[in-house]
Amino acid sequence: MLLVRLRNEEVFAKRGAMIAYTGFVEFAPSSSGSEGMRGAAMRSVTGERMTLMSARGTGEVLYAFYGMHVTMISLRGETFYAESESVLAYDGRLRSGTEFLGQGGAGGLIRGAATGSGLFTTTLEGMGELAIVSEGGAIALDVTPQRPIFADPQAYVGHRGQIHSTLVTDVGWKTFVGQSSGESYQLKFTGQGTVYIQAAERGGNR
Amino acid sequence: MTFNARTLPSNDNVNPYSFCVDVASEMFIQKGKMIAYYGSLRFEAISAGPYDALIRQSFNSPLYANDFVVVTGHGKLILGDRGYNISSFDLEDGNLTVRSPNMLGFDPSLICQESTVPGYLTLLGTGKFLASSNGEVHFLEPPVRVDEDALLGWADMPSPSYRYNYSYMRGKFGMVRGMVSNRTTGEERQLDFTGQGTVLIQSSEAALGGAADLEEVIARSSSLGQNELQQLLGNIQQRLQNR
Repeated sequence: MLLVRLRNEEVFAKRGAMIAYTGFVEFAPSSSGSEGMRGAAMRSVTGERMTLMSARGTGEVLYAFYGMHVTMISLRGETFYAESESVLAYDGRLRSGTEFLGQGGAGGLIRGAATGSGLFTTTLEGMGELAIVSEGGAIALDVTPQRPIFADPQAYVGHRGQIHSTLVTDVGWKTFVGQSSGESYQLKFTGQGTVYIQAAERGGNR
Repeated sequence: MTFNARTLPSNDNVNPYSFCVDVASEMFIQKGKMIAYYGSLRFEAISAGPYDALIRQSFNSPLYANDFVVVTGHGKLILGDRGYNISSFDLEDGNLTVRSPNMLGFDPSLICQESTVPGYLTLLGTGKFLASSNGEVHFLEPPVRVDEDALLGWADMPSPSYRYNYSYMRGKFGMVRGMVSNRTTGEERQLDFTGQGTVLIQSSEAALGGAADLEEVIARSSSLGQNELQQLLGNIQQRLQNR
């Protein structure tokens, strides 16, 4: 659960995630967050949709989403890349946007298709706070040029920093005769930054 | 708190729902439970071949061969299972039986065999293993009767038997026999443990059936005769109608 104290400020959050509030807070639907008309158009085209509510005023607002864990992330001018479904709320000072992941050529395209997360990801940029939801809490893992990390695409929540992700496949004839290792698709993160993962796989048995 | 390969716990929980394993040589893990890793690790299906000696020694369970993979190499491996709690257990020259979907991984120093109770795997020997549970694990001493949906496993004791409530039994004997669906709750049917040992339960009744149960049923039905198959078919049809 997330408690936001507003002092004549604005916060954007997942629609329907507000569970209680005190004080004088105005809620309004917002299809674009803080990214303006161009961003909104981009979202409706790309399918990386975030249905948001803005809350503005002075008071305390409680947010929660299906009993999932909330992790706070402070941004100091850098960019955070997240799956749109993982974003619970963010500071009105952050700029949101969408980014095309397919820049890595075919690898990027396969990545989106394989992970089911689409070819676009949500970005949040600037100085401010961001809350993400995950099953069992998000685990932050460092990536350095010497130490890349591999992650299950379905456990990936988001990342920040100068990170390049590539999809590593282990798909061979074994996969097609039902002898796959179950870890055929892995995301490899290289560069400098932090990767956030959760202890559950999206689209699993739940 | 940000972890890196050095600060990640070694063979310990990262948080209650994820566990970091220091892979130094080989280990068995359940398929699809890797969430991230540092280092160079390889995941090979058990049926894939290159680890014949290892599998001959420690994996004696054809029914579940498709559910486990062998991890080899050096690195830090993080495991997670649907956001369930994960705990690590040490077995010392003992035997322990765990519900198969909850068995996340085990050392090759242990021997894994199928339990006579369908849907459960038994580990024999000395070594570490990982199990997931919906909620925390609690330990009980026999004699005790347990709801099967909350049962995680049992250690150092004989297999349990089913215990039905008398009113349920009477219902079965009476007119409605055959009409009542086979669905039971923990209040009607429990697993009865006797003898010396420990029973492990989770603090929830979220059964982890699904694919594993189906495989189990299909595998077991191969030994059935004409009559039993007819009975099974009738039973399934009745349950579908009752839905």
